[in-house]
Amino acid sequence: MIQIKDLKKQYKEAVVLDVESLDIPATECFGLVGNNGAGKTTLFRMILDLVRPTGGSVSIDGMEVTKGEEWKKITGAYLDEHMLLAYLTPDEYFQTLRKIYGMTEADLEAHLSKFTELFNDEVRGKKKYIRDLSKGNLKKVGIAAALMGKPEVVLLDEPFENLDPSSQVRLKKLILKEKEDSRITFLISSHDLNHVTEICDRIVLLEKGKVIRDMHDKAAMMTELEAYFTG
Amino acid sequence: MFFELIRLQFLKSIRSTSFAKSLITNIVLGLVILLLLSYVVLAGVFLPRIIQEITGTEDTLSVLNSYLIYFFFFEFMYRYFIQQLPVVDLESLLHLPIGKRKIMHMLLIRSFFSPMSIIALLLFLPSGVQVVLPEYGSMGLLGWIGSIVLTSWILHWFMLWFKQKFEDSTIGLVIVVAVLVLGSGASYMGWYNLGEIMKPVFDFAMTSLIPLIVLAIGLVGSYYLCFSYYLSNAYLEDLSEEENVRFTDQSIGFFSRFGNAGEMANVEWKLIIRHKKSRTYIMLSIFFLLYGLIFYTNPAYQSEDGISPIFIFVGVFITGIFMIQYGQLFLSWNSQNFDYYLMKKGGVEELVKGKYLLFISISCLSFLASVPYVYFGWEFLIIHFATFIFNIGVLVHAIIYLALWKPKPMDLNKGAMFNYEGVGAAQWLMILPMMGLPYLVYLPFSLLVSDYAGLIALFVCGIIGILSFKVLSRININRVYSNKYEISSSFRQEL
Repeated sequence: MIQIKDLKKQYKEAVVLDVESLDIPATECFGLVGNNGAGKTTLFRMILDLVRPTGGSVSIDGMEVTKGEEWKKITGAYLDEHMLLAYLTPDEYFQTLRKIYGMTEADLEAHLSKFTELFNDEVRGKKKYIRDLSKGNLKKVGIAAALMGKPEVVLLDEPFENLDPSSQVRLKKLILKEKEDSRITFLISSHDLNHVTEICDRIVLLEKGKVIRDMHDKAAMMTELEAYFTG
Repeated sequence: MFFELIRLQFLKSIRSTSFAKSLITNIVLGLVILLLLSYVVLAGVFLPRIIQEITGTEDTLSVLNSYLIYFFFFEFMYRYFIQQLPVVDLESLLHLPIGKRKIMHMLLIRSFFSPMSIIALLLFLPSGVQVVLPEYGSMGLLGWIGSIVLTSWILHWFMLWFKQKFEDSTIGLVIVVAVLVLGSGASYMGWYNLGEIMKPVFDFAMTSLIPLIVLAIGLVGSYYLCFSYYLSNAYLEDLSEEENVRFTDQSIGFFSRFGNAGEMANVEWKLIIRHKKSRTYIMLSIFFLLYGLIFYTNPAYQSEDGISPIFIFVGVFITGIFMIQYGQLFLSWNSQNFDYYLMKKGGVEELVKGKYLLFISISCLSFLASVPYVYFGWEFLIIHFATFIFNIGVLVHAIIYLALWKPKPMDLNKGAMFNYEGVGAAQWLMILPMMGLPYLVYLPFSLLVSDYAGLIALFVCGIIGILSFKVLSRININRVYSNKYEISSSFRQEL
């Protein structure tokens, strides 16, 4: 689904990302871990063509991201709150996206009903602009927005951060269910090793912009990661 | 889809924090813009007569045409300084399947809707109707005014491209300076007269539609130059205005003698020079030092016996412009980290005292810098000294007291031009006591005894104020403490 080749990002002298080759097959749940400054967000931004690569290429479903924009139709993402339109209320934002994705009111209702539990009555029907929401609720709006329009690939940066424990569990269930039902390819970066090992089939560890581990064995992941991060 | 994007832009502007917060500011701002535009129209109406007065010729049109190029140089300059780049909300749209082209068209077209786009029309249409219409008829007027407006619009798109391409680079600055030198210097130095060279172009526009057509093509061309540049640079890193921190030591050693308050003054100084908005305020105080030149040399204000009352106002302004300008938004400058000062022991007190220290120091500097006005007469030095003492003794407390009335949060990274974020009713009302207080002290003595008695009164008031600094500053510090919940919740935008 996603092919990365010789992808490199350099700011003057400093190389912040240097990925030789990474292939993420469809329907895989791909986890990305690494300490601060390892290049997780930069990698996601380059996959989404938000940051100009110094070299190399990224393709989503065979389309190179810097060449066209067709891939945006099958890609959903939530990296940070700048991706939201802060001056709208959550309901207005969902309505705007509904028009952009060409969905009907019923489609939108069906989509948002999946998030009822996660939203916990704090997001919809409120007269509050997105910029005034708490960090947790911002994240919930962003995740719901990223999953709109039947995407085939969804990128989430730190989806569990700022969420309360029950919301974290609900989100985990939601991702697993979406993966099951809609066969979405998820790319998730996280600092929470428990959550990420639980939902992901494969985990890649970044260090100073380089891929240093690529783990597929669900049973051994946790011990390997713990050994890396504590050692 | 395009309509949807325009609707979003509209919502954004009416819901922006600065707009929604204070209605009175918006009304005043709107009136100011209308006033300025009506001045432009008036200038346009009287332009032919002004030209006749100055040059003494009847052929105003040929004079106008030969100077038109200088108007465009001027337009180039003000567009360079004022025109904003329309890239702010790119980040929230780029990841959606809308298409960069549509987003860019929308952002660029939106940038076009600004008062700047009609200045050329407002200025030259009235003159055109008076001068061109009788001689060349309506087609001549159309060709002439059309060429002017199209040139102005070409400059709009060209400037958007130019600023993005050369932003903050020395090449850009060199080009701007070169344009300025070539534009004004060349004919002044007698190398060649640019106005005369360009005159036939505008003369031609009155008799033929060819210049209009050429310029229309130029307009489309400049739009596409701009569009394609923005399109190929639609990346977060390229279009964000990230400022490189200059890691030089910008502390002022003098402040460190004043303990914690001095430390706060130092921090505040860094805040000032590291943010766009506050830097502009510093520039303004330097600029206002020249304010006296307008008044002190004006024969209308010269009188044989004593001092014109207006000079008191000028003196207050010259020595206190920084505290008046910067101080009126007293705590708003710290709105983003006000909670830090609140939770620190004695933090608010040090913050306020630090600001006092800074205001008084800068006022001191302004006074010293204004000493050369002694060239116009000794009385100006005396006026400046009296108003300076009054400023740091009395006015500073009054400004801070008023500024603490419902302070509002603001974003320091936006420019100061026409940016009224943080400005509420208090800041408008503040003008009254600031103008009134010095006169309240000065005028009774000046009218009853003599002008110098008035100055002495100002001086004595200032000295009393300086001697009771502790008591007066305590009033303001306590005012922050007693309103701390309101202030900090308003800064967190919880209202």
